Amino acid sequence: MRKKIIKQVVFYLCLFGLWQLIVAMKIWPEYVFPSPIQVFGTIITGFSNSTFIVAIGISLKRIAIGYGISILIGGFLGIMMSKFKTVDETLGSLVLGLQTLPSICWLPLALLWFGLNERAIIFVVIMGALFSITTATDSGIKHVSPIYIKAGRNMGARRYTLFLEVIIPAAMPSIISGLKQGWSFAWRSLMAGELLFVNLGLGYLLTVGRELNDMSQVLAVMIIIALISILVDKIVFGKIEANIKRKWGLSAKY
Amino acid sequence: MTAKLKVDNVSKDFTGRNGKLQALRDIRLDINEGEFLCIVGPSGCGKTTLLNIIAGLENVYKGRVVHNGEFINSTGPDRLVIFQELGLFPWLSVVKNVEFGLKMKKVPQPRRRETALKYLDMVNLLKFKDAHIHELSGGMKQRVALARAFAMDPEVLLMDEPFTALDAQTRDMLHDELQKIWQETGKTIIFVTHNVREAVCLGDKVIVMSSQPGMIKTEFRIDLPRPRHIEDGGVMDMVRPILKELSFEIKKSFEEEYDAKKDN
Repeated sequence: MRKKIIKQVVFYLCLFGLWQLIVAMKIWPEYVFPSPIQVFGTIITGFSNSTFIVAIGISLKRIAIGYGISILIGGFLGIMMSKFKTVDETLGSLVLGLQTLPSICWLPLALLWFGLNERAIIFVVIMGALFSITTATDSGIKHVSPIYIKAGRNMGARRYTLFLEVIIPAAMPSIISGLKQGWSFAWRSLMAGELLFVNLGLGYLLTVGRELNDMSQVLAVMIIIALISILVDKIVFGKIEANIKRKWGLSAKY
Repeated sequence: MTAKLKVDNVSKDFTGRNGKLQALRDIRLDINEGEFLCIVGPSGCGKTTLLNIIAGLENVYKGRVVHNGEFINSTGPDRLVIFQELGLFPWLSVVKNVEFGLKMKKVPQPRRRETALKYLDMVNLLKFKDAHIHELSGGMKQRVALARAFAMDPEVLLMDEPFTALDAQTRDMLHDELQKIWQETGKTIIFVTHNVREAVCLGDKVIVMSSQPGMIKTEFRIDLPRPRHIEDGGVMDMVRPILKELSFEIKKSFEEEYDAKKDN
């Protein structure tokens, strides 16, 4: 573990060194290829004059609302699909079809429906996560081992208790992986949406950077977006997944 | 003693690819309170089906099953099954697994935990109460399943070849523990197995079933002192006549399977 950290620190130091070296060789002008120090400076200024903080806050708020609604609707649809054959055969095929559609393709439709406002972008975020969560919930519930249901019934679990205390926990590993996939789709579509439809947020900062020819800001915002992705993906979902793996004994490591 | 559980003329058909199959025919059983009944038979003789009918997991059949004067047509916490695959919940710790049935019965928390710990103590697993299921050995899982079943205080315990997958030493230990718990609690146990020695070691009564159709062939009463061990001379003496009955049945069912294959 410690060896791994040392390797990573050395790797990133070398990477920044190489970057600085290329800048020092003055192949490209600084406004095309800024130095790491300059980018770092932009990050500091961005945070100290709070433009970055506001942008992060707005993007996170959008994803929280959109992703939250996605979980509610996706969970509900998934449960319906797993419970009722007709829903599965009809809605299920539609969900499968729509899942292949990149969710940013919903933006023109959302703009026409809702206009240039917050609701349009949240709609795109919802569509980004919705189908992953629906399919994962559905297949998680369908693949619960019958022995758990038999055992639960045998011990007196009925309808709601059986569902809440046996079926949902048994389907949890699948549901969590669906939530994780849904999150990354939602985050990607939010960034794409903010880039195209300029109205605050991190994606907007990227566009502003481009328009002002401020390469340093573009790189700084890209780094922040990547860091947020890593934070949620590896730390939040990583923790939840590790916890489930540990309980279920799904992996020898962890 | 009056019969507490009465299986009255139960028959059950399965419709499969090769037409109708009579899984059970005219099964009649009287099981007394506190009795340890073992059912042996060749594979496919319908012993698991019979157990499922008594448990209430199987509802379509002819005849009737009466428990405490009431007809059985659904599962109930008075008749608990220990399945061959156990069905312990991997998302719960050992103690929460044992508590599960009590939670379903709406027993409040402090008492739930207290009862669960008592039964975990009974199977000597108190130390592992916070472990997860996958961390336990096969024998320990069996003991958790036993504790989980006994904690619910059922009147009848139905066990479907629970020790089949275990090594011989672990199985011997579990035979001891099961006999001990049974004597302490006085539950009625119906134990299905294909191992005759196990049946003689555990049961007050051993029933040999024949296959296709599944019928009760012979009933043996086992009057040996307890605790019994599988290698006891008395156990071995009882095993021989039962094994003789059974091997005839096994041979018969082999021949039937062979014929069935030839027909295809």
